[in-house]
Amino acid sequence: MNKKRCVTMTLVMVFMLLGFCSSAALAAEEPIMIDVAVINPMSGPAGPWGQIGVPAYDAWLALFNQEGFRVNGKLYNFRSHTYDSMNTPEGGAAAAKRAIFEDKIKFIVGHWDTSFLAVSAITNKNKVILIARNGNEAVPGGAYSPKKMPYVVFGTPSHERFISDIMSIAAANPEYKRIGIYDSTLGKGIGWDYVDDHLTAAGVRFHHEWYPPGTKDMTAYITRFKEAGCDILYGAGDVLAAMMITKQRWDMGLKYIKTGTAGGLLTPQMYIDVSGYDASQGFLAQYAAPWEYKNTKVNPKFIQMCKKAQEMASKKIGKPFTYTAWTDWGPTHLQILSQAMEKADSVDDPDKIMTAIRGGTFDTNAGKYTMSGEKTYGSPIVFGTAGAISMIKGDKEVYFSESPWKPIP
Amino acid sequence: MPPVEIWVDGLTQSCIFMTMAFGMVLVFSILGILNWAHGQLFMLGAFVAFYAITAAAIPFPVGILLGGLLVAALGIVIKKFVIDRIGNELYIGVATLALIFTLEGAATMIFGSDDRGLAAVLPGVYTMAGSTISYQKLAVIAFTLVVMAAMYFVLNRTKVGLAIRAVAQEPEAASLSGISTQRLSLIVMGIGCALAGMAGAIMSPIYPINPFIGRAPMIMALLAIVIGGLGSLRGAIAGGLILGFLHSVIAYYISYLSEVVLFILVILILLVKPQGLFGESAK
Repeated sequence: MNKKRCVTMTLVMVFMLLGFCSSAALAAEEPIMIDVAVINPMSGPAGPWGQIGVPAYDAWLALFNQEGFRVNGKLYNFRSHTYDSMNTPEGGAAAAKRAIFEDKIKFIVGHWDTSFLAVSAITNKNKVILIARNGNEAVPGGAYSPKKMPYVVFGTPSHERFISDIMSIAAANPEYKRIGIYDSTLGKGIGWDYVDDHLTAAGVRFHHEWYPPGTKDMTAYITRFKEAGCDILYGAGDVLAAMMITKQRWDMGLKYIKTGTAGGLLTPQMYIDVSGYDASQGFLAQYAAPWEYKNTKVNPKFIQMCKKAQEMASKKIGKPFTYTAWTDWGPTHLQILSQAMEKADSVDDPDKIMTAIRGGTFDTNAGKYTMSGEKTYGSPIVFGTAGAISMIKGDKEVYFSESPWKPIP
Repeated sequence: MPPVEIWVDGLTQSCIFMTMAFGMVLVFSILGILNWAHGQLFMLGAFVAFYAITAAAIPFPVGILLGGLLVAALGIVIKKFVIDRIGNELYIGVATLALIFTLEGAATMIFGSDDRGLAAVLPGVYTMAGSTISYQKLAVIAFTLVVMAAMYFVLNRTKVGLAIRAVAQEPEAASLSGISTQRLSLIVMGIGCALAGMAGAIMSPIYPINPFIGRAPMIMALLAIVIGGLGSLRGAIAGGLILGFLHSVIAYYISYLSEVVLFILVILILLVKPQGLFGESAK
């Protein structure tokens, strides 16, 4: 073998070795999928709420997975599976069983419907981590117990969010007389005592009214609010009631009364269609557009991802996608979960992951918050909220005010 | 004493309940059947008025009449092709129950399940001693009075009305004296359904419109009929009036317990007068 041939052979072997190593390295970079479940209403009357955010959530997840996250040097992605809870306890329980026992899923995120107790009973027993919202059934003194539910965490604190909403509205309307809070009897429970205590301590003037579920004629309640001196009426998320109060207070000539509801606007047009254009102007709702926040600092990278996801969703549905509430449900919960896995150095030990979540600080679409609530909830498991409010202006949803939630003791 | 708004609201609700109840009783007294899908005809009337106004720019009063006419036509079709072919009263009841889901399903397919709404056709309010009364509600009350007056005229001053009353009292004798009970039953079905359709159309500028809005008024109309006395037209009006006022006044005083108290009161009325307030007319 001459010298030239020997050098050529050596070079070929070196290149082959390099090629093999690089392809092996590339193979090692193939992300490992972690399956997560989203259990929410996809059919029935609450179905539109479950469906509307899906295009943007899917787009956001694709963007999130482009980078993924690393635990113990390995690259991970999330793969999301959707299950229909039909907004019933039995539907939620069936969905949870299917996700856990058939599809072997260990994490449930973005949960917000009325099946919380049914779902959490199954997830806890099976050490499946559930990232949900708190609510009437899950507040201090209610059905929630950190001992009984060690694998539940409140990534979206609905009660604290409602308090933030009211604080935000009061701050933006310093001359307000009294805020009327309306909810159906379905929502009447211990959770409202918690809200009332906070609002009273904060010096907010408010008055409650309760109506039977499905009430369409709000005249009696609007009249009572008027007599109580309310000039702002804010509801707890019943869309039909919000639309009827908005319309009927206008028809009654009480145009000075502002109206709104907790929960994101599906579309401003929905309120315009049912309540009328003039009556809908100034309607207040929860706002989850991180690119608009003025008092909440959000990681610019996350803002860009959310905006990009909105654009991708718009392209997919063929018209502007304006719904924003999706940003701080599923995505925020996945951000909490991935960062907790990184801190815990584990993707499959629920105890280690929960230890990382409790009291941990997480950087998300809703801002950077530390899980708090040790004194209030018995465990630091409640995440903060941007507490932003939008209003309808013309046929658009625009920023109105903001009151980010301070850590709960 | 509740403020004027509450009384006017009570009267507005009464108008809807009594128009619905009147139509149901009329059909019941002649055909001997309770049309369980009466509420869905109410819903269709609301949709007709909605599209007449928003899509065809038809004036609201014409939209109400159109709602009544189209729903009357549908009622006649139901009578001819469903009720007449079944015959047995029990099975007719089951068939009209099935129509609830058929009509709601069809409406969902055609119109979608989203809520819709009409802006007040008569915007503005009349202010009186700090109370405000919307012109729209006054219009509902006025229109209902016109409809009720027309019904009184038809039933008491026309040959058709005379025939209807004759058939209601003595069907066989009426038939022997040359009244076509078959044709009359179609007319009655048409009128009864038209009233449901017009009630839906009348309320369309006040409440939301969706395929499921007929259920609550149907239950209230049934209650009105039971309070007033099954088969009594006067009872349907009285029952509707009582229910509308109770609904509004109780809601004003005890808000979230309003429905519980309302239904307890209905039970009390029936305990005192099981045959209803005008029950003897049912015989």
